Amino acid sequence: MKDPYKILGITPHATDEEIKQAYRALAKKYHPDRYGESGLASQAAEKMKEINEAYDRIMKQRKEGIPYIPEDTYTCPYNNEDEYNSYQSNSTGRDYRVIYRLINLGNLIEAEHILNGTSPTERDAEWYYLMGTISYSKGWLEEAFNYASTACRMSPDDDKYKALYERIIQQRSGTQGGFVSTRSGAADCCDCISCLICTDCLCNCGSCS
Amino acid sequence: MFGYLQPFREELKMKDYKLYKSVYCGLCRSLSKSYGLKSSLTLSYDCTVLAMLYMSLHDTPCSVKKGKCTVNPLKKCMICTCEGDALRFAGAVSVIMSWHKLKDTMNDGGLFKKAAAFFLRIFLRGNYKRALRNYPLIDEYTAEMMKQQNEAEKNDVGIDRAADPTATLISRLCIMFCPEKTDRKTIGVFGYHVGRWIYLMDACDDLEKDIKKKNFNPFKKKYNGDVKATMQYCNEVLNMTAAQLIMAYELLDLHRYKAILDNIIYNGITIQQKKYTFDRYNKKKTKDIDYYPAMDVHE
Repeated sequence: MKDPYKILGITPHATDEEIKQAYRALAKKYHPDRYGESGLASQAAEKMKEINEAYDRIMKQRKEGIPYIPEDTYTCPYNNEDEYNSYQSNSTGRDYRVIYRLINLGNLIEAEHILNGTSPTERDAEWYYLMGTISYSKGWLEEAFNYASTACRMSPDDDKYKALYERIIQQRSGTQGGFVSTRSGAADCCDCISCLICTDCLCNCGSCS
Repeated sequence: MFGYLQPFREELKMKDYKLYKSVYCGLCRSLSKSYGLKSSLTLSYDCTVLAMLYMSLHDTPCSVKKGKCTVNPLKKCMICTCEGDALRFAGAVSVIMSWHKLKDTMNDGGLFKKAAAFFLRIFLRGNYKRALRNYPLIDEYTAEMMKQQNEAEKNDVGIDRAADPTATLISRLCIMFCPEKTDRKTIGVFGYHVGRWIYLMDACDDLEKDIKKKNFNPFKKKYNGDVKATMQYCNEVLNMTAAQLIMAYELLDLHRYKAILDNIIYNGITIQQKKYTFDRYNKKKTKDIDYYPAMDVHE
């Protein structure tokens, strides 16, 4: 097994506070929310597990005087099996359970093939969301962006669609890598983006009704 | 490859910059040694990054020593040598890709360009043959990529489809050289987005020229030839690709050259994007180095 200190990127002389800080930074970095539909979710979860274990081990080792219980151990909220079981067909009554299953198994080609069989008039928001997810894991990011924004426009209240759309918008802004074209500070930028997302949603609602 | 992946030198430590240069010179030396002197003409920054990634993933022991520059014997430089296959592999990629690119130019360039490509190809022929013998798989992948690229351009496809051949090629190359224990999916996704980013940067770079000459360019349709408006959009597309690339990069187990690779991924990409999308079209060039990329993921 790897040295837990190495995993967290700290020296064995680090203080408890430093360990906690390093752990938090890494947990943020590999958080499932960030990796989501990218197709690397399981790899990130693996890394997350490693970090959690390393952190727990260090803390156990250091438990000399006062036993230390980490207050914020991340548990992976991204449990695909649950999503599958709790799935209910949406208002239009179309059943996409097969598609979710295929995506979870990583069989994107088959999932895309089935989705493409839907006639253009029957394509609902969820259809666009699923196509967006598939394109996103395939690395076809422009199509993913188009699908996600269409899904969001068709049903603006759905959290799942909005989450994907917002993640894409944030990536496009350049704060996750690349170049931020507006010359404001990072904090301002975040506000600016959320503002843009809000206005965008409003605009879309307006055009729908 | 074209040389878009570069470190942001201003923010590199001197020792890392020297190390980077030594790999560059080492690759040049390895090229002329393994495939012939002429092949060192095909040397590029992108292939240097590829060699560094190779050595970093494999944790190849390497040494740096003083030597004479291969191309200019009057110049002295630090040259990196390594045990494994890294420099030879990156060299073969460089030679084979240049060869195929020349072939492509010969088919659809202007008259002058065609002739130049023709002679360069005769010039490089022996070197290419040697690289081909060592790494037939690279040649096979590259040839397939070129075929698909031509087909995509003929059909005037969208951005994703246009970038797919190059992205797939780099992804395959990365999977080819990564060590057994590396997760194939992670390195594959990383390679895919690196390739995609390089292709899109090239498309950005050529946009003005392509509009003038009526060549294919995936960004052309978006704003009907308004280059400045398109650049804002290009930057968004590049940003999203960079974000994906970084996500995969952070899952890789790197052993060497971490400081340089980090610099390329987090700062180099930013600076290059700025340079090709905005600076080119700004009459008043802003030459500030007090610029720090805003990254909330990499604090």
